[in-house]
Amino acid sequence: MLVQIRELTKLYSHGEIQVTALDRISLDIAGGEFVALMGPSGSGKSTLLHIIAGIDRPTSGDCHVRDINVADLTETQLAEWRNHHVGFVFQTFNLIPVLTAYENVELPLLLTSLTGRERRQHVEAALELVGLGDRMRHLPRQLSGGQEQRVAIARALVTDPTLIVADEPTGNLDAHSAQEVLGLLQTLNRQAGKTIIMVTHDPKAAAFAQRTIHLEKGQLLNGNGQHP
Amino acid sequence: MTIPGFILRNAFRNKRRLILTILSVALSLFLFTTLRTALDLMTDPPTTDTAALRLAVRHKVSLANVLPEKYQYRIERVPGVAVCSKFTWFGGIYQDISKSNFAQFGVDADRILKIFSEMAVPPEQERAFIQERTACLVGYKLMERFGWKLGDRITLQGTAWGCDLDLTIRAAYRGQGIDETLVFFHHEYFNEAMNNLGLVGTFWLKTENAEVIPSVIAEIDKAFANSDAETKTETERAFQLEFVSMMGNVRLFLGSILVAIVFAMLLVTASTMSMAIRERSREISILKAIGFDSRQIFGLILAEAFGLAMAGGALGCFGAKFFFSHLDIYKMSQGFIPMFPISTETIALGLLVAGLLGVVSSLVPAYSTLKTTVVAGLKELD
Repeated sequence: MLVQIRELTKLYSHGEIQVTALDRISLDIAGGEFVALMGPSGSGKSTLLHIIAGIDRPTSGDCHVRDINVADLTETQLAEWRNHHVGFVFQTFNLIPVLTAYENVELPLLLTSLTGRERRQHVEAALELVGLGDRMRHLPRQLSGGQEQRVAIARALVTDPTLIVADEPTGNLDAHSAQEVLGLLQTLNRQAGKTIIMVTHDPKAAAFAQRTIHLEKGQLLNGNGQHP
Repeated sequence: MTIPGFILRNAFRNKRRLILTILSVALSLFLFTTLRTALDLMTDPPTTDTAALRLAVRHKVSLANVLPEKYQYRIERVPGVAVCSKFTWFGGIYQDISKSNFAQFGVDADRILKIFSEMAVPPEQERAFIQERTACLVGYKLMERFGWKLGDRITLQGTAWGCDLDLTIRAAYRGQGIDETLVFFHHEYFNEAMNNLGLVGTFWLKTENAEVIPSVIAEIDKAFANSDAETKTETERAFQLEFVSMMGNVRLFLGSILVAIVFAMLLVTASTMSMAIRERSREISILKAIGFDSRQIFGLILAEAFGLAMAGGALGCFGAKFFFSHLDIYKMSQGFIPMFPISTETIALGLLVAGLLGVVSSLVPAYSTLKTTVVAGLKELD
């Protein structure tokens, strides 16, 4: 299994009030899977995604990705781990506005030991893959929402990560652009074998995934919509 | 793209703010450099190797008290004294008081150039100055200011002393590290005009070498101890500093302004960096998410703040150097300030202050950003 989650719990404290975001979740995700995490607001799906991606820490339990328990890594180790193993796609694209599409995609590669020439090859390949080979020198504000999200996907891909995490990737897109982005993610999964974990509210978006995992009140629901 | 290129892109993202911030830092550093130079000139005047051998003998009570002329004979006989001259401030008015902000001194014409050997005078002019009782020796800057020529006659109306002096310009001097706005005339002529009063403001002397200075000082002051006019002998530097101290605590005053400038500069830079980083907090979280660690993010913020402060600092410091080197400060100040050299040390200090402020101003916003988790940063401004 690429991702192995055991008895994962996440508690948030707001003063004296404790909120359970994730309640003893156990879950396996195989390499090459395209998984959709669905659930209502506050169900804990984004929290689960953040812990798998190493940008949040569990209160208890284990989260192994490629046999590494991400909860055991220090902040610096986690940063390096994320650079090598995780590609992020966010709802609001989160591109750096002063950098061109090319430079945004190149950004994660600045932390690697690749030469300038190697970086250029990787960046051009990633942008060609998402169909933006002709928009490399455009700034984010010169691109449509769908194009911005495709640049974000190229940025997520460019380091050839172990898994791609997408948090509501179509939440800010029109229906047509959403279809394009979801189709792109599906292609990456099917043709490039990328493992993708996507959080979404939208059943139509979830339909692009191979498996849908439902969460409610911090717990996984079984296939019948019941708590296990 | 490179990491420095990325830092530059971030710095230039808001060009108006960048320019205004750099200009405000530059202006602060310009003032800092200017005031620091003014402070240096007042408290640490330019000096030369020859100046280290000069001593001034004045009345122990104050500079306003005078000494008997006859002291010169005794001073000259102190072992280690090479040459001694009378040196009396006249304080006369030339034409009207607004033009008279230059100093005039009665001296021993045949000795003064041996004591102040940095003053360069053509030999024939030196001879002419020494030979004529009413001759005077004038600094080149003063000659240029009033358009005087050799042979011109000038009249100084006495204020502190009850006589007027009619002088003929016979020589002009240039001087490395010497104020070129002074007038020297024969003390003998002044004394006659004062009906042989026999009083002297100070005596200036040159010692044979630096080693004898302590013993010369002790010997002279001992010679006149318990007399009606006890003396205080001191080095040129000590004398100048004491003269400055008569203006009050200028050092504290200028020092306070310098501190205020540095503090204002800190606030400006810190405010700019806070705004710049705050509006970028989400992007910083993205950088963290894609693999930049805290140390690298801190480096990016620090480099940007440092670069910004140094750009402003360099503009201010070198701008001041350029400005004052191309400005005729003597003419502009109506002769009040003879020269205004911005030293390399002052520029280095200014750049150091700018660099430190860049670092300090980035610490708080950088720290607050670093302690924000990626998830919290991404939620901000959502």
